[in-house]
Amino acid sequence: MKQFQLKTILGAAMILYVLSACHKDKINPTPEVPETGVYVLNQGGITHNNSTLSFYSYASKATTPDIFSAVNSRGLGDTGNDAKIYGSKMYITVNYSSTLEIVDARTIKSIKQIKMVDGATNRQPRYVVFDKGKAFISSYDGTVAVLDTATLTIDKYIKVGRNPEQMVISNGKLYVANSGGLDLSNPDKTVSVINLTSLAEIKKIDITNTNPINIAADAYGDVYVIAYGTDYPAKPTLTIIDNNTDAVKTTADIDAGYGTSFIVNGDLAYYLTDAGKVKVYNVKTQTVVKESFVTDNTSIKVPYGIAVIPETGQVLVTDAVDYTNNGKLFAFNTDGTLAYSFTTGINPGAIVLLKK
Amino acid sequence: MIVKISMRNNELITYLWAALFKCGKLAPAIVLQLVVTYTAFAQTDTTRHLKEVPVTATPAPRLQTITPVQQIGNKDFARYSAFSIADAVRNFTGVNIKDYGGIGGLKTISVRGLSTNHTAVLFDGVQINDAQTGQIDLSKFNLNNVQQISLYNGQPQDLLQPARSYASASVLSITTIRPMLTSEKPYQIQAGIKAGSFGLINPYLQWQQRISNNWQMVINGNYTKANGRYKYKVDGDGSDTLATRKNGDVQSLQTDAALYWNKNDSSKFNIHINYYNAKRGLPGAVIFYSESQGQHLNNNDLFIQAGYQRLWKNGLQLLLNSKLSQLKTRYLDSPYFNTKGFILENYRQREAYQSVALAYHITNNWDVSYSADASYTKVDADIDKYAFPGRLTILNVIASSLKLGRWQFQGNLLNTNIHETVEKGTAFQQRSVLSPTLMASVQPFANPDLKLRAFYKNVFRAPTLDELYYFASAERTIKPEFVYQYDIGATYSKNLNGVLQYITITTDAYYNNVHNKILAIPNRNPAVFSFSNLGKVDIKGIDAGFKTQTIQQNGWSMLLSTNYTYQQALDVSNPENSTYKQQIPYTPKHTLALNAGINYKQAGVYFNHILSSGRYYAGNNLPEYFVPGYAVSDASAVYNFIKGKTPVQASLEVNNLSNKNYSIIRSYPMPGRSYRLSLQITI
Repeated sequence: MKQFQLKTILGAAMILYVLSACHKDKINPTPEVPETGVYVLNQGGITHNNSTLSFYSYASKATTPDIFSAVNSRGLGDTGNDAKIYGSKMYITVNYSSTLEIVDARTIKSIKQIKMVDGATNRQPRYVVFDKGKAFISSYDGTVAVLDTATLTIDKYIKVGRNPEQMVISNGKLYVANSGGLDLSNPDKTVSVINLTSLAEIKKIDITNTNPINIAADAYGDVYVIAYGTDYPAKPTLTIIDNNTDAVKTTADIDAGYGTSFIVNGDLAYYLTDAGKVKVYNVKTQTVVKESFVTDNTSIKVPYGIAVIPETGQVLVTDAVDYTNNGKLFAFNTDGTLAYSFTTGINPGAIVLLKK
Repeated sequence: MIVKISMRNNELITYLWAALFKCGKLAPAIVLQLVVTYTAFAQTDTTRHLKEVPVTATPAPRLQTITPVQQIGNKDFARYSAFSIADAVRNFTGVNIKDYGGIGGLKTISVRGLSTNHTAVLFDGVQINDAQTGQIDLSKFNLNNVQQISLYNGQPQDLLQPARSYASASVLSITTIRPMLTSEKPYQIQAGIKAGSFGLINPYLQWQQRISNNWQMVINGNYTKANGRYKYKVDGDGSDTLATRKNGDVQSLQTDAALYWNKNDSSKFNIHINYYNAKRGLPGAVIFYSESQGQHLNNNDLFIQAGYQRLWKNGLQLLLNSKLSQLKTRYLDSPYFNTKGFILENYRQREAYQSVALAYHITNNWDVSYSADASYTKVDADIDKYAFPGRLTILNVIASSLKLGRWQFQGNLLNTNIHETVEKGTAFQQRSVLSPTLMASVQPFANPDLKLRAFYKNVFRAPTLDELYYFASAERTIKPEFVYQYDIGATYSKNLNGVLQYITITTDAYYNNVHNKILAIPNRNPAVFSFSNLGKVDIKGIDAGFKTQTIQQNGWSMLLSTNYTYQQALDVSNPENSTYKQQIPYTPKHTLALNAGINYKQAGVYFNHILSSGRYYAGNNLPEYFVPGYAVSDASAVYNFIKGKTPVQASLEVNNLSNKNYSIIRSYPMPGRSYRLSLQITI
């Protein structure tokens, strides 16, 4: 561990040195770090300020456990929830610190930290998506912030439903899952539709089941929403919305684990179950085509985050293990066998692919 | 809502996490949220009468008991710069005070690596029980009315005591000041004020009154107000400026009235009425880049407690104790992103308690006793889908002690029965658990200075009502927790005639084996937070203490005490876990406490130093989860004088002398240097 850190620090120092040199001369553009790999955003434990960003290098197969603080000499803060790369930058939402951290996607050097506050009240940012130079950030205060990725300033807050979570862009519109999850006995049950030209909410779709969290879209005009209901055990349903009419087409039960992402890759979608399985769903036929993607004896204790590498079809799944100690990431080949795995930080929630 | 982080109840989850990080010791902060607490009382500080100061030889403290005991009396509180009971006991060996910082910050005690639920807190012999959280916040107990605090590993060695005193791994016993008035001066009034850092103002008053030959009375009142602000440094957020801890204000009123009746010492009766009211801000964890978002806790507690003791000539003794209590807690979290815009929760815990104990002196060297306790606790809360549990606990104990030459043997068998009722879900039931304890001590040589001792104690802990029913969306099956305690030790205590009056050395090695450790298990779905029995912990440790005091020479005297604690507390739950054989969270391996003082006539200067090695806040003992160790010093000065005819005591206490930036619990910074000035008169 110490060695890793040392390496990180050395690496970071070199990068910093090079960067600062560039700054002074303003001659060379930032040199490309030729590495590709996987970032994992670890939430850490609430109130522990120990959200970290792990980086796994495909080339060296080594993991750098906390690259953000190694590079920036400060921590990410409390409970990083979502991270995505757009252009050359990575955008990280940090829920309890209520910040949006904008960093260079390759060096992780901080470019800007935006405090997501409304007066003295933390907005609590959750997820981020992008469209045509704009970043959209959902926050628990019932808003979606619109950030200009050129100026890195927030131009507008669009009011949506209660405690919005995941968002997806489909057919020129932004769909927002309004969970209302902070009202235990009375969650929300709507999906907000935002017109990406007018940047205004044009409709709230009633999806009947309460507590929608996860949302995705396919190439055939369907928007998929997973809602978890009010009671425990959760009764998750998959609602399909037509992105032309914004009407609900169907709603059916689904054995999705609480809060799992629904990752669409071409005709297939992947999601996690509470039993630790990775299921494969066909978005054309609307049926589950594989009950268990994993074909070897890899055991995932607490499936937490999922991502698919579009080019290779590899499926990456994180394991929170016991929610309090370091987690793991498992990468599976297309045949469901384990390709590699590495140790992450606490509660590895979001997976980000760093491409060339 | 989602999951991954967020939740339904922010605090709840926060607490949950906190809990987790402590390896399942119920989250401290839960306590803050729910707690109920009891009270403390009021008033007056030491009864150091000037005329009494002189020259009695101080005998060595009585430490050669069959189970380890540590004591601190009211004259010593100033030596430790102590404001609350938590401060007064933090030097004890084997003790780990979990302090969330600040004047209103939660302070709980953990003894010998066990969770705080395993330490019973007694108030004049009767347990301050919190069936809901199982934890007592020691910051609520003001020292003004306290005569003595004792910590027993295992249990006190008396045979005549309530069954509850037998039922914990350790006992922290608080004894209040009792009037000792004569007919010449049938009253005594002490009034004082403490003021200092954190905007603290703490006036107090104690009125002792002799009513008749048999009746005496004490009334205490104690008001505390503080803004709780202090500067601290945030580590890790890249800033190098000091921040101010906000929303830590406290306002509390503690009152206690007690009546004592005494007939030839063969029969005694006392009754207490105690009321505590407090409003506190909860500053919460320091979150990087964010201001504290306000949470507030109000407590409103009342109890009535009565005790009767009778000693017959034939060797039979009877002890009766009764108690009625009500703890009301109101928790507010605002703003909050639900429809109401805030979370408001109200809890009410009521308890009725009756204890009977009988002891019989069969022969000179053989005693037997029987104790039976019954208590009924009911918790009401206006939270979603609450179970409204009621718990009836019946404890029966038989005990005996036998002296054979230089040997002393003592043993008891405790039987626990628990019956619960709930309005929702399935109630926890526990039929007849037997918990044995065996103790022995021996004086190996003719000289009585050295004694050896050993004990074995089996401890049963029922899950708390929170562990069973707090937001229990899914039914929880929780088994009780068991601790097997083993202790072997030696005490050496010698009264001397030279410059030193005495020396005492005690050392105990112990092994605690925890089974079915109750752990809070988080879930992605915040509506579900579950507890289960996953843990096994092996705790091996050494407690060592040394104490000495010089005679008074030309008005000068000195005293020194030092305590050392070694604790290896390993998670041995599952060899496949990454935490296997790693030190459990927040348990330092080494702790050293040193206290030294110099008295000159009516003045004294004291110094206290505590050194703790580093700890981990996660079960993975990795460098990134390391909480650095700390060394903090306190100093105090006390001066007694007579103004007119009135005895006055003035003192100045400085905590954290070197203004060290540290924290005991991650994200809860401790205050830097702080001051407290006290003035007290006795009429």
